[in-house]
Amino acid sequence: MADIFELRDIEVWDGNMAASHALRQAQVDVVAAYPITPSTPIVENYASFMANGYIDGEFVMAESEHGAMSCCIGASAAGGRVATATSSQGFALMLETLYSASGMRLPIVLNVVNRAIGAPLNVNGDHSDMYMGRDSGWIQIDCYNPQDVYDMNLVAFRVCEDHGIRLPAMVHQDGFMTSHTAQRVKTLSDDVAYDFIGEFKPMNDMLDLDHPVTHGVQTEEDWHFEHKARQHHALMSAVLPKIQEAFDGLKALTGRQYNLVESYTMDDAEIAIVCMGTSVETAQEVSNELRAQGIKAGVVGIRVFRPFPLEQIADALKGCKAIATLDRSSPNGTVGALYNELAGALFNTSTHAVLTNYIYGLGGRDLTKSSIHTIYRDLQANAQAGSPTTPLQQFIGLRGPKLSFF
Amino acid sequence: MLEIRWHSRAGQGAVTGAKGLAEVVASTGKDVQAFAFYGSAKRGAAMTAYNRFDDKVILNHEKFMQPDYVLVIDPALVYATDITANEKENTVYIITTHLSTLELIASQPKLMGKKVFTVDCIKISQETIGKAIPNTPMLGALMKISRMYDIEFFTENMFKVLKKLPQKIIDANMIAIERAYNEVK
Amino acid sequence: MLQNGWDTFEIGTILRPFEGSISDASAILPEDRLYSQSNSFSVSVADWRIEKPLFNKDLCIDCQFCWIYCPDMSIISRDKKMVAVDYDHCKGCGICVQVCPTTPKALLMFPEQKDEEEALLEWPKKEKKEKEN
Repeated sequence: MADIFELRDIEVWDGNMAASHALRQAQVDVVAAYPITPSTPIVENYASFMANGYIDGEFVMAESEHGAMSCCIGASAAGGRVATATSSQGFALMLETLYSASGMRLPIVLNVVNRAIGAPLNVNGDHSDMYMGRDSGWIQIDCYNPQDVYDMNLVAFRVCEDHGIRLPAMVHQDGFMTSHTAQRVKTLSDDVAYDFIGEFKPMNDMLDLDHPVTHGVQTEEDWHFEHKARQHHALMSAVLPKIQEAFDGLKALTGRQYNLVESYTMDDAEIAIVCMGTSVETAQEVSNELRAQGIKAGVVGIRVFRPFPLEQIADALKGCKAIATLDRSSPNGTVGALYNELAGALFNTSTHAVLTNYIYGLGGRDLTKSSIHTIYRDLQANAQAGSPTTPLQQFIGLRGPKLSFF
Repeated sequence: MLEIRWHSRAGQGAVTGAKGLAEVVASTGKDVQAFAFYGSAKRGAAMTAYNRFDDKVILNHEKFMQPDYVLVIDPALVYATDITANEKENTVYIITTHLSTLELIASQPKLMGKKVFTVDCIKISQETIGKAIPNTPMLGALMKISRMYDIEFFTENMFKVLKKLPQKIIDANMIAIERAYNEVK
Repeated sequence: MLQNGWDTFEIGTILRPFEGSISDASAILPEDRLYSQSNSFSVSVADWRIEKPLFNKDLCIDCQFCWIYCPDMSIISRDKKMVAVDYDHCKGCGICVQVCPTTPKALLMFPEQKDEEEALLEWPKKEKKEKEN
């Protein structure tokens, strides 16, 4: 039996350490990993917990991220609780196997510490890897600080392993801005955390030798479409209620409330910023400053990126006159993904807010409060005019001449 | 909100120092942040680390900071980097150097007219810990200059933060903190 | 980074190690090569050092160990003779001192601010072997 790790009620942890402890408390059976900055400390800490007797499971050092996720898939199909971590190019190398994991309905938890994708090589945080995973069939939950990372990991296991779900889940945090920023994290004791997640219940596991199964079958046009439709159906219909249930359970246990869509001062907001990651909190601080001046500003943070809570977001924004979507990934040839998602969410509704798009923070470029103030000023002008007063897509925080499109 | 910027070289322990300080401050009920800028950092490369402390929940994740305190734990960074970047009128500088405060200001005129204090954390850590790891002594100096906590309270709590290290190392760190507290001018 | 203009880099973020063209760089001594500003040869890391290696020519046997082991190619050697330490690129790691086989060593670490002549005067002396009995 693994030793109990005595935690203080409040620890000062960075996002990586928060993830490591959540994985330890989940008593994962197999972690197969290939380290990559900035997610390395997650598996490094985990390995040290294991070496010191705090974990009973297996730790597999793989030869690549592709190999790491392949190991995870094998271990999950065999019937174990499985997790790993990656970032950036490592995530890109995993991509092929991510589709296998979701298609095979294997409930693996993947911590993605969001980082830019090269070239040029860059180790800092942006959302390029998170966006790359958005069609992969995984649940994607986003964190804004180390406390979120700890809580969302516990939620992820509980949701994805449910037999009504059986889909893998990514827990995203911003590279360095969350992963390497130490903040206060309120902890649960090992047994309380484990009970919240629940005992792992295998389903169709290969190690159930009395009921032999084959995983990883081939289907062609006769069956592929139906399997994919069923997978999409599970993701679309079962996941959000299950996450909400886990959020409710967590609130009952800890008092900390999470929502599928996080709304800050949105009740009477006329102008709003929609974004993800640490930017949600920085925008909240700016919005508070504007509220003090009597400006009706608000922030909507995406907590669950996949499945996309389209109706909940439309509802959160229904009174708005002007909305800015902030994308921390180069859209390379179109508008930012959040702009697309929001346009889709609002199009058939009675909300006729002016919708604009900002590309920011690529490769870890600082999103300053001053930039966010600029965005809110643009939004005020848009709200007043009732139409865009700026180009639809602008790059903010970029050196050199102003860059904008549409 | 109290904001601190550390100037260090990767490997000198600025991140550990910032995190250790954050742990002590968090134990008093305040909200904290400790973070750093890394490039593709290798040991020896100039880097900066940061602290934010507040009674309220800290929502601000911007990297931009106008520090209340600038802690320089490598003597050469006074010349090699811009330690006065984004300073405020009242920014306080605590700098590791073998020079006296007057000699240091003469050698770096940018510091003229500013609140500058000096302490030789490199020498202190070499003599106590046995290695040039000047992070903990700098915290002793900070306690003296900022009067954030009294030194007894601080060393007691720092002791808890370091508790996983070998006893000899902890003791050496405690002596280093006290020495810097007494020697900073 | 910030001293460069936003559009300083060529398409593909390439860097050019030399100013203009160069033929048979290996035949030209490093100090005579026209390195570009973006080459790391043009960047001094002298301020990384807390201690520096000093070289005592009288004790050196030109074994070239320091030249082989230096991780930053900061031992300048010509015709298999140790000439000097390249203080622009030495980071003060001390490996050269570790591998120096002579007694006393021909390379020793001193505080960065130490005066070289003073250090040479303080250098440990060769112990004369006294014949037994």
